[in-house]
Amino acid sequence: MAVGEKEVRHVAQLARLEVDDGEVAALVEHFNTILGHFERLKEVDTSSVADVLDNAVVTPWRDDEVRIWENRDEALAQAPDRDGDYFRVPQILEEA
Amino acid sequence: MELFECSAADLARAVREGAHSVAEIVEVHLGRMDRLEPVLSAIVTPLKDEARARAAALDIALARGENPGPLTGVPVIVKDNFCTRRIRTTCSSRMLENWIPPYDATVVSYLERAGAVLIGKANMDEFAMGSSTEHSAFFTTSNPWDPSRVPGGSSGGSAASCAAGYAPLTFGSDTGGSIRQPAAFCGIYGFKPTYGMVSRYGVVPFASSLDQIGPFARTLEDLLLAMEVIAEADEKDATCSRALRPDFRKALDVTDLKGKRVGLVREFEGYDIDGPIVDALARARAALLDAGATVVDVSLPTVSHGLACYYIIAPAEASSNLARFDGVRYGLSAEADSLIDLYHRTRKAGFGPEVKRRLLTGTYVLSSGYYDAYYNKALKVVAILRDEFARAFGEADVILAPTTPTLPFRKGENIGDPIKMYMSDLFTLPANMAGLPALSLNGGYSDGLPVGIQLIGPRWGEMEIFSAAAVLEKALGAPRLAGGDL
Repeated sequence: MAVGEKEVRHVAQLARLEVDDGEVAALVEHFNTILGHFERLKEVDTSSVADVLDNAVVTPWRDDEVRIWENRDEALAQAPDRDGDYFRVPQILEEA
Repeated sequence: MELFECSAADLARAVREGAHSVAEIVEVHLGRMDRLEPVLSAIVTPLKDEARARAAALDIALARGENPGPLTGVPVIVKDNFCTRRIRTTCSSRMLENWIPPYDATVVSYLERAGAVLIGKANMDEFAMGSSTEHSAFFTTSNPWDPSRVPGGSSGGSAASCAAGYAPLTFGSDTGGSIRQPAAFCGIYGFKPTYGMVSRYGVVPFASSLDQIGPFARTLEDLLLAMEVIAEADEKDATCSRALRPDFRKALDVTDLKGKRVGLVREFEGYDIDGPIVDALARARAALLDAGATVVDVSLPTVSHGLACYYIIAPAEASSNLARFDGVRYGLSAEADSLIDLYHRTRKAGFGPEVKRRLLTGTYVLSSGYYDAYYNKALKVVAILRDEFARAFGEADVILAPTTPTLPFRKGENIGDPIKMYMSDLFTLPANMAGLPALSLNGGYSDGLPVGIQLIGPRWGEMEIFSAAAVLEKALGAPRLAGGDL
């Protein structure tokens, strides 16, 4: 199946990644090359494999308890834009 | 013998016996770094002041009669995706160029607890995506055996700096071969442990179902010493096993392999592999036979599909993991009037071309309508591959294989062809997908370039690999220090 400019721009939108017009042609070519390689997987019969995979790794549970994390100020200090103890972001909702 | 030529075990012994101060050892290694760094460019952030202060503190502790740990006074370097509190951690990306983590990775804490001295953070392919360090946003590291060639990647800075004697022990992460391929290219040991053996907490994730942390070393003893320090349970990584680890250094006592079966993968015979690598495999095979092992054929019929599966699964997981870079809480943040523009512009400015390619591929294979055809299909093929490995390890105790299809390639040789670059991981990524431990070790030299070979073990079969490696080190010799003529 061939991927075109439209699909690449759509995927870039989904990935929240702006792509330049100049980058699109190379990405279209890359997509078609790599998807061509992926096509070969169809040769493998996977009808016997269940959908739920890898029960070999069982992750343990722990209690959901509140703990004090002493490095909070260091984490907040990395904020590109903050207001006191809050991260500030551009307005999302329109004013009424 | 210069101090920078010494093993970690010898340095720690010298410190314990009072033959050298930590300050002296650290100074010699910083000097080695200073002398070779203009040629190699292996280090993103050197930590000279921090290392000197730490050395002084350790010398005071030693003078008081304390024994801080098994790596006391040993200089170490970690890949720059290991979080280090109050020290920037860049992942060799513009996105994190000025990011200062508020905590240490667990492995960094364990190294510190053992008395090691962190002297630098190593260059890598951006967010660990690449096989040459040419995808670093800052600079390309040179191979210490031939600076016109790449050191491999993505942990290329860690491999080059260990090989050249900046530090006897360095550390990296391996998602598809990112420890073993550069270890092969730089002529040293590089080990990817069993999935769940070492905590990944605080190491910036790439593909969480595949990522493992591991050491580089120039002697097997050092590699095992490092494993004893870093392979421990950690409640902060839910995938990290709570079971007791073996005494890895016991493998050093192994002198024969009677009753052991070494598997050769039939399907690997058909690949185009550089002659010197074929020769090195033959030498290793002969040495293993000499030690009493038998050699058996094993079959992995699905292994030729590994590359396709990897380049679906790893980008898919990366596209999810790297969604955290949004310009809001830390890292690069672009000017924008709306939240959606903030995301788009930050990510455009912060990520390099290879990361963008993989994020887009990953988003595509996870998107509605393609999830089953690509991502789910790849997971199922991997399930078959895991079963094939399990069967193979019923017939063999350890598998001997190439690490890479080629010797170290030249800078620029593969950069324009992503698929060709991906081929460098052909023999390493099956171990990641099956969660298996695998070691790259030096199998000799060809025209001044090191030749890597690989041992793959069953899950939790570290001791099988290390036993075979102990025999091979005795027969073939330990890696040589690189950078002698630079």
